Amino acid sequence: MAFIKSENLVKEYKINVKKKGLLGAINSLLIPEYKIKKAVDNISFSIEKGEMVGFIGPNGAGKSTTVKMLTGILVPSSGEISIGGLSPYKNRKAVASKIGVVFGQRTQLWWDLPVIDTFDLLKFIYKIPDKEYKKNLDMFSELLEIHKFMNQPVRQLSLGQRMRADIAASMLHNPEMVFFDEPTIGLDVVAKERIREFIKYINAEKGTTMLFTTHDMQDIEKTCNRMIIIDNGTIIYDGSIHEIKHRFGNYRIVEVEFQKEYKNLSFAGVKLINSDGNRKKFKVDQTLMQVTNLINELTQKYEVQDITIQEPEIEQIIRDIYQGGICLDKNVC
Amino acid sequence: MIRMYVEIAKKVFQNNIVYRLDYFAGLINALIVILVNISIWKAIYEEEEVLGGIQFRYVITYLILGVLLQTIFMMDEYLIEGKVNSGLVSMDLLKPMNFKAYILSHNIGVLMFRLIMQFTPALIVSMFAFGLLPPFSLLYMFYFIVSVVLGYLVLYNLNFIIWMTSFWFYKTFSLVTIKDAAVTILSGALIPIWFLPEKLVNFIELTPFGSIYYIPISIYLGQVPPNDIILSLIKQAFWIVTLFLLGHILWKSAAKKLVVQGG
Repeated sequence: MAFIKSENLVKEYKINVKKKGLLGAINSLLIPEYKIKKAVDNISFSIEKGEMVGFIGPNGAGKSTTVKMLTGILVPSSGEISIGGLSPYKNRKAVASKIGVVFGQRTQLWWDLPVIDTFDLLKFIYKIPDKEYKKNLDMFSELLEIHKFMNQPVRQLSLGQRMRADIAASMLHNPEMVFFDEPTIGLDVVAKERIREFIKYINAEKGTTMLFTTHDMQDIEKTCNRMIIIDNGTIIYDGSIHEIKHRFGNYRIVEVEFQKEYKNLSFAGVKLINSDGNRKKFKVDQTLMQVTNLINELTQKYEVQDITIQEPEIEQIIRDIYQGGICLDKNVC
Repeated sequence: MIRMYVEIAKKVFQNNIVYRLDYFAGLINALIVILVNISIWKAIYEEEEVLGGIQFRYVITYLILGVLLQTIFMMDEYLIEGKVNSGLVSMDLLKPMNFKAYILSHNIGVLMFRLIMQFTPALIVSMFAFGLLPPFSLLYMFYFIVSVVLGYLVLYNLNFIIWMTSFWFYKTFSLVTIKDAAVTILSGALIPIWFLPEKLVNFIELTPFGSIYYIPISIYLGQVPPNDIILSLIKQAFWIVTLFLLGHILWKSAAKKLVVQGG
C-alpha cells in the first residue's frame, strides 16, 4: 500500500480583494470583498514507502499548499489524503510524530541556545528512547559534522551549519517521511552537495520516504528518481526524471566557431539559434539529425576551429515547461 | 506527557539567562520602581502615620508586593503574535504537542526565571532596606501563595485572550497596551484599591482585575477576614474558568482559521 495517497485534492482560499488607493483601502477595511481562489485543483498521486520524490512547480503553483495539507496543518476543501494510513488533519499529532519537516528558510532550532539543547528538547517532544536518540545523534554528528558546533548558540552558526543542524533535528525521531522545503537554499556548492549526500544516505539506510519542494533542479536530479510537476494547481507531469529528459531533452546545442564567416548555413533538423560573426549556435533535433552526422558535414564542408556540444539541462527543460514551450499533455495541445 | 512541557519550561528558563544585561536591568528596574513608589507615598502621607484609616507601613508593604508580583507576572506578550506573523505557528503545529500547553509551559519557564532570578533578590532587598512587613500569619502566608498562583492564572488567561486576537489582527500592540493600562489601574497593582472611589471599587469587584493583585496582597496583609478567604479564592477560580473558556473558544476558531485559511 502506498505510504502517501492523495485523491482529488482541492483547496480553495477566500482571498480578500484589496482595492487600489487610499479610498479603496478604506473601502476594503469597511466592506471587505472576497473572491475564491483555487490553489490546488484536483490533485491525485501516491508515493510508495522509501521513494524520493521531487515536487516542483513555479511560484504560486500550489506546492506549499499541497505540502501543508499533507502535513496536516491545512484542511483540504475536498478530496482525501492519507499518510501512513492516517488522515493528517484529523490526526495531526499522530501524523506529526511520524513525519519530519525541514524548511530551508525557517529554523526550528532555539536561536539563543546551543544546538544540542534543541536536540535535547526534541528527544522529549518526540519521546525518543535514549538508545535510539544517542544512535541517531552520533550518526548525524558524524555525517554532517555537527559535533564541531554542537555547543555553539544557533545564532552564531553559519547558514550551512544551521541547515545541517536543522536537518538533523527533523530526523532525530526516525520519521517515516520527511518533507524538505528548499533544503539547500542559499548554500554554497560544497554544502549543497554534502546535504544531498546525507539525504541519499539516510534514504538508503533507513528507507525514509522523502518529498522535496525546491527550485534547485540539481537537488532533484541528484537525489530523486521521480518528479511531480505542478502548475496552476494541477499536476502536469508525474514520472521519472530520466523520462522527462528523454521526452523533452531530445536535442543538443552545438556551438561552432568557424575560421571565417559563412552565410546561409542550413541543415535538415537543425535550427540556427544564435549567430555572432564566426560563432554560430545550432539546436539539433536528434529525431531528425544525429549530432555526429552534423559534425561530419561541418568539418568536411567548412573550415571549423572549435566545436562544443551541450546536452540540454533539466533546468532548461523545466523552464520550457513553465513557459509553455513544452506541452506535456498531448490531448490538450 | 508532562515531561515534555517541563523540558520546554526549562529551556525557556535557560534561554532567558542568556541575556545577562537584560537580567540585571530588570532587577535594578524593579528596585527603582519600588523606591519611586515609596517616595511618592511618603510625600502623600507627609509624615502622618495613618491616612484614611490605613497605616503607612501597610501601604509600603502593599506597594512592594505589588511591584514584586508584577515582576513575576510579566509574560511574553508578543510570543504568539511573532509566531503568527512569521508563520512559525505552523512549525509548532508540526510537532506532536498541544499548542496551548506549549504556550503555558513557555510562560511558566519565564515565570520560574523571574521568580528565582528577580523576585527573590528583590524580595530580600525589600525586607531589609524598604521595611516590607512579614505576612499576617503562617496560615495567611499559605493562603497568600495559593492566591498568587490563582492570580497569575487569572492574568494568564486574560492575556491569552489578547494574544489569540493576533490571529485576526496580526498587530496586537494597541490591545496589549490598553490591557496593561486597565490591569495596572484596576487591579490595584499601582494604587491600593482602598484609595480608589467607592463606585470604581464596586465596578472592579465585578471584573477579573481585582483577582490579579488585590486579593493576594490583601490576604498577605491580613485584611481579608478568615471567613472570606475561601470566598476570595473561589472568586479567583471563577475568573480563571471563565477567561479560560473564552480563550479556549478563541483558540478553537483561530486553529480553524489557521487550517482553513492557512494563517
